[in-house]
Amino acid sequence: MTRWMLPAFLAVGVLVTLLLIVGPALYAVSLSFFDLPSLTSDPVWVGLAKYQAVLASAEFWRALWNGIVYAGLAIVLQVVLGIGFALILHQPFRGRALVRGLAFLPYLLPTVIAVLTFKWMVDGSLGIVTILMDEWGLPPIYWFETEQAAMISVILVSVWLWTPFVTTTFLAGLQTVPTQLYEAARVDGAGPIRRFFHITLPVLRPILTVIILLRGVWMFNKFDVIWLTTGGGPVGATEHLPILSYRTAFTLYDIGTGAAIATISFLFLSLAVFLYFRVFPMEDDA
Amino acid sequence: MKDTGKNSGQSRLITRRQTLQGAGVLGLGLALSGLAAPAVRAQGRKEIRFLNCETGKDTLAFFDRIAKEYQEKTGIEVRVDSVPLGEAFTKITNGIRSGTPYDVANVGFIGHVLLLADQGQIVPLNELTDPYEWGNNILFPMDGKVYWYPFDYNLSVIYYRKDLYEKLGLSLPDTWDQFVSNCQATIEGRRKGCIFPIGSNGATNWMSVAFMWAEGVKLFDDQWNVTLDAEGMKSKAAAYLDFMEKLYPTMPPGAIQADYATVLSNVVGGTVAHGPYAGRVLEAAERDNPQVAENLGIMPYMDSAGKNKAVSHGYDGWVVLKTDNTGPAMEFMRWMTTDRLVDFLHTAPVHFQPARLDIYDNDQWRSNPLITKYADQIEVMRKMVTDDEMLVTSIDTQGPAPDIRPGKVFEGFVMPEMLQDKLIKGMSSTEAVEKAAARMRELIK
Repeated sequence: MTRWMLPAFLAVGVLVTLLLIVGPALYAVSLSFFDLPSLTSDPVWVGLAKYQAVLASAEFWRALWNGIVYAGLAIVLQVVLGIGFALILHQPFRGRALVRGLAFLPYLLPTVIAVLTFKWMVDGSLGIVTILMDEWGLPPIYWFETEQAAMISVILVSVWLWTPFVTTTFLAGLQTVPTQLYEAARVDGAGPIRRFFHITLPVLRPILTVIILLRGVWMFNKFDVIWLTTGGGPVGATEHLPILSYRTAFTLYDIGTGAAIATISFLFLSLAVFLYFRVFPMEDDA
Repeated sequence: MKDTGKNSGQSRLITRRQTLQGAGVLGLGLALSGLAAPAVRAQGRKEIRFLNCETGKDTLAFFDRIAKEYQEKTGIEVRVDSVPLGEAFTKITNGIRSGTPYDVANVGFIGHVLLLADQGQIVPLNELTDPYEWGNNILFPMDGKVYWYPFDYNLSVIYYRKDLYEKLGLSLPDTWDQFVSNCQATIEGRRKGCIFPIGSNGATNWMSVAFMWAEGVKLFDDQWNVTLDAEGMKSKAAAYLDFMEKLYPTMPPGAIQADYATVLSNVVGGTVAHGPYAGRVLEAAERDNPQVAENLGIMPYMDSAGKNKAVSHGYDGWVVLKTDNTGPAMEFMRWMTTDRLVDFLHTAPVHFQPARLDIYDNDQWRSNPLITKYADQIEVMRKMVTDDEMLVTSIDTQGPAPDIRPGKVFEGFVMPEMLQDKLIKGMSSTEAVEKAAARMRELIK
């Protein structure tokens, strides 16, 4: 039984992966070599023309840059704040269990609810933030009115939503660090900052590496937050590659170009992950 | 006698291993037959698949009701799937591609109708549309054939507060300057003069561009050349941007991201004195803020000189797809558009402004309490679609004939970005118009 059951289960896994992941991905890549206004049109072979057009377009490079800025700033803030919260929540204090639970709450919210709530809170007429600012005699905040403000707004929403992931993962890691290490360092006269940089960070480096990798990939491919918050505007200031790809394929009737953008985005991300592992290898060489 | 495991394994006709193997083979067979199912289902089924995009509570209940009624009447099941309008085209084409096409589908974009007609995926509906008289610019025939059954206009008009006009002694504006002046005059405390969306979204395309149509701007000539920056047209488009620059300070913060819901809540909530939308405003105000509802008037978009008026249409309609079930689907459509259309329109009585002109004189339709109550506003709306002086147009219906090119300009958010270039980036009006024209050429090439 065991002799053939193992390959059988493996085969099912491979089959599902091929059908649901590899197959559609290859199909999407194949679409990038065709001119195709809709999924029901007759495809016309154009070779690499779509890739040439994409790489020559200013929109693509703007979207790539926007994606790097969005993902980069969001990750830095999520990691810094997440670690900070994790360190606080690692300390013993009354009601810690409750605070830990609450800290995880934003991560449990569906993105659409979080984004719509944010938009309603900052609505220029009816939002509670606007009304409070007005009552306190402060000028209104223009959350989306400039290109920079819009980018900051989508980053803020992303940080609020996904910092708890960093907090929780790092907190779990903190609980595995042997207390003897801290006690020895304390005896040697190391303060909290030195203990953090010389014990906590080195010990938790593998966890941090994975956190940054996961958050980086997720943020670079994150579609829903930007789509729901700004739709990529104003004037393309928050449009990154996933949104550009979607808009090109499904609203501008150019599925081939949309697929080419998605393929380039995939290759770019693969290269970034490869370089990341070269710089921060998972194995501890020391 | 008590069995040992070994003995029982030998004596049973089917072993546990064989049972598991059999179940596996059966499961695989079922899975494979499931994969082949779409093609099988596409042949010779009786069920009518209907894709609906009107997702209001009452409209969904209506479809639920008539599906049951039609099945009782004819024995044919009608399965209604409901999705937001933005997902309709993808859903339709995915259905065709996967071998499970919808028989009837709701579309809200004439470019999609054209694409499907070009590919031979939908059938002409002249037999359903020809018996009736229709409002202006709504059937979009292609070579004499009508490929959709429009059920509403969804005109974007400007709502204004009659009570504020009366209190401040304002008169209805005929020119852009008067409109700006009225918007400025109605600002008080937290209430702003108006809201017109300027973000990269459908709301801006629909609600904020009609001032430009009234001014006489046309995006294409008869040969599909882009005319936005042509001589005589560029100055009009630039004047529109200058006007919007004056209007912008009378809006609340957030106009850049305002969507349908934002505009609706601002007008209904009374936080702006003017705002665009279709009949949904009156229905929402009646429900949530009756005091505002009593005081809402309607006017068209005006030009700079007080000569022309325009409204922006956002039409919706149904298409019948070419499937092996087209005959029954046409029969269902005939029944629904003859016997149940008024019931359907009553599910959003003011918002679903009829495209068929006979409906306006239909006693059953007029008997609806909201239609009776807002008879004056509805009469204004009716004139908007019958008066030849009134421009009824939109970005996606620009040009000499229905075509995908203006659809690309719509979906490429060229006009919203032209507004943003002017209002956010501080670009000169002329430069913003030239940039928009260049973008149009890039999109349609």
